[in-house]
Amino acid sequence: MTKQKNPFWSFFTSVYLTITLLVFTVVMSVVGTFIPQQDAAREFVQAIPPGLASFLQTMQAFDLFHSVWFFLIMLFLSLNLIVCSLNRWPLTWKQFRGAPLSGEDDLFRGLSPERVFLCDEDVGTMTGRMEGFLGRKYRKIGKTQEKEDAVIICGEKGRYSRFAVYVVHLSVQLLILGALMGAYWGWEGYVNIGEGETADAIDLKGGKGSKALPFTIRCDKFMVAFYENGAPKTYRSDLTFLKDGKTIYQGPLLVNHPVSLEGIRVYQASYGSSPDGRASLAFSRGGKEGKLIKLGPGESFSLPEKAGTVQIVRLEENLMQMGPAVKIMVRSGQGEVSFWIFQHIDKIREMNPGVTEQVPMFNPATFKPYLFVLKGIEERYYTGLQVSRDPGAPLVAAAAVLMMVGLIGTFFSSHRRIWIKIQRLEEKTKISVAARTNKHPVVLDREVRQLTEQIKVSLEKGST
Amino acid sequence: MTNTMILSWVTFLYFGAFVFYLFRLVFGKEFWGKAAFCAVLGGLGGHTLGLLLRWKESYALGIGHAPLSNFYESLIFFAWAVVMLYVIVEWRIKNRSLGVFVLPVAFLLMAFASLAPNISDRIQPLVPALQSNWLTSHVVTCFMGYAAFTVAFAIGIMFFLRNISLFSFIPEADVLDELIYQHAVLGFVFLTLGIMTGSVWAHYAWGSYWSWDPKETWSLITWLIYAVMLHARYVRGWKGKRMAVLAIIGFAAVLFTYLGVNYLPGLHSYLQS
Repeated sequence: MTKQKNPFWSFFTSVYLTITLLVFTVVMSVVGTFIPQQDAAREFVQAIPPGLASFLQTMQAFDLFHSVWFFLIMLFLSLNLIVCSLNRWPLTWKQFRGAPLSGEDDLFRGLSPERVFLCDEDVGTMTGRMEGFLGRKYRKIGKTQEKEDAVIICGEKGRYSRFAVYVVHLSVQLLILGALMGAYWGWEGYVNIGEGETADAIDLKGGKGSKALPFTIRCDKFMVAFYENGAPKTYRSDLTFLKDGKTIYQGPLLVNHPVSLEGIRVYQASYGSSPDGRASLAFSRGGKEGKLIKLGPGESFSLPEKAGTVQIVRLEENLMQMGPAVKIMVRSGQGEVSFWIFQHIDKIREMNPGVTEQVPMFNPATFKPYLFVLKGIEERYYTGLQVSRDPGAPLVAAAAVLMMVGLIGTFFSSHRRIWIKIQRLEEKTKISVAARTNKHPVVLDREVRQLTEQIKVSLEKGST
Repeated sequence: MTNTMILSWVTFLYFGAFVFYLFRLVFGKEFWGKAAFCAVLGGLGGHTLGLLLRWKESYALGIGHAPLSNFYESLIFFAWAVVMLYVIVEWRIKNRSLGVFVLPVAFLLMAFASLAPNISDRIQPLVPALQSNWLTSHVVTCFMGYAAFTVAFAIGIMFFLRNISLFSFIPEADVLDELIYQHAVLGFVFLTLGIMTGSVWAHYAWGSYWSWDPKETWSLITWLIYAVMLHARYVRGWKGKRMAVLAIIGFAAVLFTYLGVNYLPGLHSYLQS
């Protein structure tokens, strides 16, 4: 073939190239797990000499798996695979289509004695019997009358497994293609949305700016539940997806259960609490408790009969290790007065007797005749969503299925052929069993042994 | 808990089996071989029972998950898979010499699981990321793969010891070569499945089927090493010593994938507790 003289072609047909490229991939992957990558690299850069840092930066060592180097290795591997496959294809095709006996002249030469039998029956009888034995496990593909008194029958198994290795290599190509599609047309980013708030854009990963979404996400509620041992049990966001003011999807989002809309997938990734929670406040006058009021910082309400207005000035989840507290300011005809209201005021009094007298700021009854009670601070959560789009993912999934099929065909199947020659030699009929396989000789040997066992047993039975 | 008690008895049985295989080696009496195999079978039975009981106990605790969710449970399952494969090999090749090399691995895994101070044998509830149907299939396939590679590694070691007179009963090089190859293939197929199930899971849990997390990357490295090994055999006809060397290198990568990457930062942090 003229192809083989082409230096480009012969370079890419080399298996050493494949092995070299695979070793390169291994080395690069090892380096990539020891040098912090992407976002993790930022801290690392601060800790090493600036000269080294800028060198590594130029070498794209902080994003090795998306670097030019990695891309080149993948490209070469891909070309190597294509060229190797094309190079071997004609031979495989010939073997696949191959006539059962072509080019196998020395098939019956040098057979081990267990594979040769002698008997008295004539060729016709024995041919029928041999066809029966061979047909139990093998598909019959040929019968040739060699000479007047010699017949060769042939059976085979696993012909299609010759293509299995091409299926595996095709799947690798599709995998690389799918990964490239994901890298070029896909994106990944994060957005935090407070309860009751909406977002219509996300921050792309690696500080690559922001991206507008084709819809708006509203976080209606975020919930986190814990096990008794303190480990988290559930993270759940109730989300509403809106487009042009209309709800297109509404439902909960949980870890392991992303929401997929218009090719974009939304994941529950993290959460946190906003500094602006809401205080549940109650007040009483002369032992008569009023209703519960919920307020955020800066908000205010009026006391009955125009006695004054109360404004939440500060809200602390844990003030001076004494638990939740709010600072309120009461404005009335007598002027302004501000003081703290602790949720656990009874306990604080118990532990520090006389504290509210010594520190008037801590006395919930400062604005007489009212007594304020803090029932609790409702935390306001925000949900951390990961949003991504990967148009290559379906291709990668298809590649995975194809690879599994190909691997099973490659490793657990082989093209096995068995020939049985039945010929008359003067007084006796000679039966010879020959076999060939393209791989896994152990499997073929076992099957031939089973077959010769059967022949042996039947001949012994026949002769007695 | 009953299951941990059973599992610690299993550890002793495996140690006993190892000692019996050693006696067989030194005294040359087949009696010890039979005793060892009985200990292995008893151990495997107890091991299976212990795993099932642990599963049942997790339901009794109201947690309810397959015993495959933390470092302790992964070690126990790893050891189970190794012994399981060993029993199949001994039964298939009718040769007990492999036991001296495989049983200590199983014993060490079990002993490490119950004795290491920072490994908790408590049944723990699943954190949200682990609450997935893919957990079981991912862990089972990965550890079946690791177990097959472990057996291939043990046979690789045997390959280099077969010329020492003490180990004269080791099967001939051809048999070892075929066994290394078969276990490398088995491990490779299971590792491929393990990586795939992991990717599907990551696609649902982490927002991407592949994130170049150190454990993912190291599983790919392991996969590539065995891919090189299989190509070298198919295309260049490598056999014997070279395959044994590659089985040992591959196993080092398996160990790093399993244990080493826990010292690198990443997403697979469940194993640190």
